Amino acid sequence: MKGITKKFGDLAACDNVDFDLFRGEIHGLLGENGAGKTTLMNVLYGLYEPTDGQIYVQGKHEIIKSPLQAIDLGIGMVHQHFMLTPPHTVTENILLGLKSKSFLLPFASAEKKIMDLSKKYGLQINPKAQIWQISVGEQQRVEIIKALYRDISILILDEPTSVLSPQEVESLFATLKSMVDQGLSIIFITHKLDEVMQATDRVTVLRAGKVVGKVKTSETSKEELAKMMVGRPLITSFEKDPVKATKNILEIKNVSAKNDRNLVALKDLSFDVKSGEILGIAGVDGNGQPELAEVVMGLRNTTGGKIILDGKDITKLSTRAIRNLGVAYTPEDRMHVGSILEYSVAENLIIDKFSSSPFSDKLFMNQSAIAKNAEKLVSDYGVHTPSIYVPVAQLSGGNLQKVVLARELSSDPKMIIVHNPTNGLDVGAIEYVHQTLIDFRKKGAAILLISTELEEILSISDRVTVLYEGELMGIIPRAEVEIEKLGLMMGGSKLDSIPQESKGEQK
Amino acid sequence: MIVSLVKPSRNSIIRTLIPMGTALLAFVVTAFLLIYGGFDPLEAYGLLLQGSVGGVREIGETLVRSTSLILTGLAIGFAFRCRLWNIGAEGQLYFGAIGAVVIALTAVGQIPVFGVIIAIIFGAIFGGAWAAIAGLLKSRLGVNEIIVTIMLNFIAILFVDFLVRGGPLQAVGFEPQTELIPLTAQLPMLIEGTRLHAGFLLAIGAAILVYLILFKSKLGFSLRATGVNPKAASYAGIDIKKSILITIIISGAIAGVAGAALVQGVNDRLLPHISPGYGFIAIVIALLGREHPLGIVFVAVFFGALMSGANLMYQTMGIPVAIAGTLQALVLIFALIGEFIARWKFKGVGK
Repeated sequence: MKGITKKFGDLAACDNVDFDLFRGEIHGLLGENGAGKTTLMNVLYGLYEPTDGQIYVQGKHEIIKSPLQAIDLGIGMVHQHFMLTPPHTVTENILLGLKSKSFLLPFASAEKKIMDLSKKYGLQINPKAQIWQISVGEQQRVEIIKALYRDISILILDEPTSVLSPQEVESLFATLKSMVDQGLSIIFITHKLDEVMQATDRVTVLRAGKVVGKVKTSETSKEELAKMMVGRPLITSFEKDPVKATKNILEIKNVSAKNDRNLVALKDLSFDVKSGEILGIAGVDGNGQPELAEVVMGLRNTTGGKIILDGKDITKLSTRAIRNLGVAYTPEDRMHVGSILEYSVAENLIIDKFSSSPFSDKLFMNQSAIAKNAEKLVSDYGVHTPSIYVPVAQLSGGNLQKVVLARELSSDPKMIIVHNPTNGLDVGAIEYVHQTLIDFRKKGAAILLISTELEEILSISDRVTVLYEGELMGIIPRAEVEIEKLGLMMGGSKLDSIPQESKGEQK
Repeated sequence: MIVSLVKPSRNSIIRTLIPMGTALLAFVVTAFLLIYGGFDPLEAYGLLLQGSVGGVREIGETLVRSTSLILTGLAIGFAFRCRLWNIGAEGQLYFGAIGAVVIALTAVGQIPVFGVIIAIIFGAIFGGAWAAIAGLLKSRLGVNEIIVTIMLNFIAILFVDFLVRGGPLQAVGFEPQTELIPLTAQLPMLIEGTRLHAGFLLAIGAAILVYLILFKSKLGFSLRATGVNPKAASYAGIDIKKSILITIIISGAIAGVAGAALVQGVNDRLLPHISPGYGFIAIVIALLGREHPLGIVFVAVFFGALMSGANLMYQTMGIPVAIAGTLQALVLIFALIGEFIARWKFKGVGK
């Protein structure tokens, strides 16, 4: 790819990018969120038409106008968000969109080819299973086989590890290695440095749509890549005083709950969060994280157990009553749960407290108090918005997150639940969010940090635990955390069942 | 010219004027229909104007029809604003009429001044209660409110038929109708020589009230929030089941007042088919009025004029009243096209 430029309006998502891929290599494409990695690959895959630049495949100049054309040229892509239809089987999903000569779908031969591919690359799969029944890791394997089934020679993987546990990541990397051994070439999009070091042969680093470095993995270091990627060294740990208070703010006692599909989501969960501490709950998506937060907030009924806030049983209280007791919650989905996109910035800053003074009297809203509150929070939290009256739909992800945080924290909570608070934010915004949480910790708030980003959990938590299939795998103080142990816990091993040998490899 | 789909035009005046302009095309298309039917379109439109705004009596007639359209339009617009698809204004209107007539025919209706007011309040209560059936089914069991409200329309219309055709409310005689309600329960006339009654003021008052509830009160804030994003609303601590129920009860109550106003201001009794489908035209009015009380009043008066003007076209030239219905439908279609055009900016090529 030569001189690729892709502009959205006046903004260049990719600016004169050169990129090359050798046969039989794993090429890492590294960059922060919004650096232009996915845009560049979408150009290659025919989803976007480049504003400028040429693409050469096997030495031939090609203009790729659609994914179908890309597949014909041997380019396959696995997106970050899977493109599978849940009620259909693995085989049906793989055949979807494929041209078939006969009227009936060739299920038998397709299943055989899927099993062959599965054996060849060590991608375990059951072709007859329906997508909704299988785990995220398996769904990813389906996506990969779907691409391989189309006889591709170049495979693009967009942030493939974001949904996987460390063990699943290991097996994915083994698969990738076996694929390149057979002559495939792989482009691996990621923002995780460890993965680049571990899995790739060469790396191209993007920053703000420009190539800032192209190196052999063996000739570089994590620190060097980090510097290229963010343009400055990463701050990974914060200055923190040790936990002072020991008062329990939140106590969860033997809580169980079901998810939306009426399956058990939380199994007999017990833990507590103390005043002035951050409890980090790690774990891969889909292990009961949102259900846990919803149960505490009164948004989901428990099927057993008790939730106690500052000595008061809140198990059966309404969401509003629980909020009034000083619990704040920033949900994972800030667009559809955490805010109302159609409402203005000012309105979103009070959606939890609009019905009380000073924002309204008995009947009517008090617009001037609402505006005053908004002006203050927007400047305190540095929200970039054209005005407090525009709908929050116009805000970027980071600014929307700031609005949600500002609202939740402006009620001066004693218990804060944050779920993936920095998902999709850039480094500056991440630091800001973390610093804010630490400031609240200092003020004595109890904080429950639910996150799939291990790095985030490790950088600000006081104690760490893992949620796996609705159960806690054991709680460890931050200082005693070993990364391997955490990985095993995320894979479903309980802390007390893990032998103590691995001690001393502390990270 | 190419259409740029990136930047929606934000000038709200232009966004309102364009659909109004394209709506006029409906008259052009209808003119061809008239020519095809052997009528002179200019003469017909002249009668349309004369029949709707040609004199005090005609204006009164227009406003009588507008009264029903404003009230039902507000009922639907209120629900739509809160993303609750109440298609049942017609049935709620009929139940409101039942409520009003039942009270007016009893001793309560004979109380001076208060008789009128109490009957209207009962109209609202009956309309709201009828709508609450759909609200309860929706909020407790998740039943689709569109289907339920549509079905409730038929039940309500046929129930009125039963009441006055041999049922408990039929007056002495053969006509399917109730007794006349006493004068004390009738809405006073506003202008001598017209049928315009105080219900019109009621409708304007309702529009102001709906505006205040929707956009200024904390109730409206939570109802609209529930409508556009129920997940976020319940996350913020709003009881969304209660919100859904309140929304549809308010909506039904406004439609109920429309029914009461028909009984107390126009017919002075309950008859089958007391409404020529106001509750259905109201859906168009609510949409064209952009679910905003001001827009709804404006569009309702326009449609009221079409309805009363169509009467004169029929009486003088024998043009079927269905032509007015066609015209109304075409206005909606062209306005929607205009709405689409207004939403996108046009850009010249070669810039």
